[in-house]
Amino acid sequence: MKRSHFSLLLLVLVYGWAVYWVFTRSSPVIEERPITIRIAHWQIERGPPDGFAAVIKRYEELKPKVKVEQLLVPGAVYKQWLRTNLAGDTGSDIMEWGAWLAGQKDVPARYFVPLTAELEQPNPYNVGTSQEGIPWQDTFHDNLIGARRDSPDPGQIYAVTVTELSVRLFCNAELLKKITGSTAAPKTYDDFRRILALTQAYARRTSQPINGLAGSRDNGLWITSAVFAGPLLALNYQFDDSGYLYLYNRQVLAAYLEGRWNFQRPEVKAGLQLVREVSQATKPGYLQLRRDDAMLEFFSGGALFLFTGTWDATTIKQTAPFPVTAMRLPPITPDDPEVGKYIMAVAGEGRGETAMAMYLNKTSSHPKEALDFLQFLTSVPGNQLFTDKSLWLPAINGVDVPDEIKPFRDYQLGYAIGQSPYNFIGSEVSMAWDSNFYELTGDQGSVDKFAAKLDQVMPQKIRMDLENEARNALLLVKPQDALIIAQANLVDESDQGLMHAQRRREMEAGQTMSEGLAFQMKLQLARSKLP
Amino acid sequence: MVLSVTPSERWMLCACLALFMPLLAWAGSSTDDADANWRALINNRPKDVLRVYDADTAGREAQLAEGVAIMSMQPATDDNMRRAGEIFVGVAKGDDELAAQATYLQARLHQLHFQVPDYAQAAQLYEQLATLQPDSHWAQLGLVKLAMLKLYVLNIDAAVGADRLSSAEVLLKRIHEPALLRDLHLQIGQAGVVLKQPLPRILPHLVAADQAGGISGTAKEDLVVQIGELSLRAGLLEQSKDYFERYLQTYPDNLRAYAVARRLEETNRQLALKREAQP
Repeated sequence: MKRSHFSLLLLVLVYGWAVYWVFTRSSPVIEERPITIRIAHWQIERGPPDGFAAVIKRYEELKPKVKVEQLLVPGAVYKQWLRTNLAGDTGSDIMEWGAWLAGQKDVPARYFVPLTAELEQPNPYNVGTSQEGIPWQDTFHDNLIGARRDSPDPGQIYAVTVTELSVRLFCNAELLKKITGSTAAPKTYDDFRRILALTQAYARRTSQPINGLAGSRDNGLWITSAVFAGPLLALNYQFDDSGYLYLYNRQVLAAYLEGRWNFQRPEVKAGLQLVREVSQATKPGYLQLRRDDAMLEFFSGGALFLFTGTWDATTIKQTAPFPVTAMRLPPITPDDPEVGKYIMAVAGEGRGETAMAMYLNKTSSHPKEALDFLQFLTSVPGNQLFTDKSLWLPAINGVDVPDEIKPFRDYQLGYAIGQSPYNFIGSEVSMAWDSNFYELTGDQGSVDKFAAKLDQVMPQKIRMDLENEARNALLLVKPQDALIIAQANLVDESDQGLMHAQRRREMEAGQTMSEGLAFQMKLQLARSKLP
Repeated sequence: MVLSVTPSERWMLCACLALFMPLLAWAGSSTDDADANWRALINNRPKDVLRVYDADTAGREAQLAEGVAIMSMQPATDDNMRRAGEIFVGVAKGDDELAAQATYLQARLHQLHFQVPDYAQAAQLYEQLATLQPDSHWAQLGLVKLAMLKLYVLNIDAAVGADRLSSAEVLLKRIHEPALLRDLHLQIGQAGVVLKQPLPRILPHLVAADQAGGISGTAKEDLVVQIGELSLRAGLLEQSKDYFERYLQTYPDNLRAYAVARRLEETNRQLALKREAQP
């Protein structure tokens, strides 16, 4: 073969290989950033993706060897995506998780790593800020209430949070003026009730399909949780044997099985009446609709209020074709003319709960870098970037809050009900609530019918949920035996060895606590066994 | 000074090196292999341990790791637990740390890992370990687990609530590791609440657990508010005041802060009444 033919052949081969590479690979031949970490979340509303992008851009400037990819997974498929990837060992390094994701309660114990030891140390990215030298966990505005509460192990913290959320009534100010003659926000719950009645009258008078509240399953659940809790407070304190001034789901479930409350109790019926009132102000069949449908209904002028979280505030602000005002849902007080006699005190929102909980995947290939990114994301400078670009409240103390979102930090102080309102204390309970909800709403529905139906179906459902709670506690406990022994056998005098000793101690304490809880729940189940 | 070596010495040195090098390499790799096994288990990769396991050359530590790997395999089956148990029985012959770990794991298998637990058998193994090696960490940890069995599942028909607390309290005297002592105090206190024991019986255990320190997560917050509230209910007003104040200082922004502040007002009101009533 002549030399020129050989060169030509070589050129064609190299060109062919280059074309193949370009069309089949997305990464360059030589990776400039050898480490890639991925962070997955479902916050695809307007705001967070830009916030994360700003944080990532700055982080990559600081860490030239690390590339961070943001995976936006729609909420509708997140559960399935999460479970499939975790089971297949292909999960992202950092993943968002929430305790309310139905059927996913076991995920943290199975797949995520506790961050307790790291959270006790200062966040290195806070040097030179107001949070310098403060343990990382104490730099969160709420001391990580949610991450502590939702931890599968009461002695451990598994997540860090990025933002702070609250729920608010977003009001179409123009429509409010047309309906009530004023743009004044309701001062009491009875004012709010009256505005809902006026809206119904206005819709009838003008023959326009206008509802008091924009409806969807999610929006319905949020307002249900807010109003249902009010009258339950008095009941709650009657079976707070532990003295926590707060009830965990397992305690409410056990109290039902022990016959200490049921849906016939006047406090519970008062709560159901409030749920019926807000349901009647919402489009029929709203439980079948999604958040986007409620948003559309509100934007098209079909509803006066949209009750949603501040997570939708940026979208609402950028999309609504009319002026929108955000206001707190007025608290239900002891002087309420309908249910006041059952109200012990005002239920509070606390001082804001931080959210968008990020967890570190146990099987991450780069746990050190992923943890480092989490520290930057939740540092004063990192969280400031997120806040400025997303217009979501910061989770971290010392971050400046932009003026337009400052009102979201105006919280209703009051008593805490506990982990969840009684319609949400377990997945079986929630499903039974939903499937029988028609008994409460519409012209055919009533509080009495719904309460009777719930007491018929709930004993079995509540038992199943308490069994699930006990099972989940043991799910965490069992694998720890192997881990504790393994940690113990890696202990030596080196820094790494001492870290294993620390982990072993933490795991032993956490395991004993979880084991204790599982035993308690089993005892309660045994005590209340049906004949 | 120049080191001078004769040709014969040079050969001897080479021979020594040739003899010792494999020995050194074996010793090093043995430790590394053992550590690699434990690291694989920490990373939830029990199959990695079983893949490299060689029954002919495995020492007791490798055998223990094999047993732990088998009990960690998914799906967890009774067959696997039985296999792991047999290995632990072998490793448990001795009086060293490995033997203690193996006995402890046998007890855990019976308590937790078989489909049908055998609490009596687990309790017997914990007791046996605590008798043979009372100072071993695993015996001490086993005593905490034994106490929990006594609190919740052993002899439940025979014992009323108070007796069940007593049977666990007896074991406190045999535990000298402060962290484990703390954990057992906490468990007795919490069991006392569920078993509806009088508050004066429960509170000293909760206070002892708190004073030992080192509790983290939501358990710490729960404990502080719990001691404050239960002390108020028991009429231990000074103690209630201390704990409520500590709660508000530590968790000023938490969800329960409002309720705690109201309960502190109540504590202070009762304290004032008590002082007024004093001659």
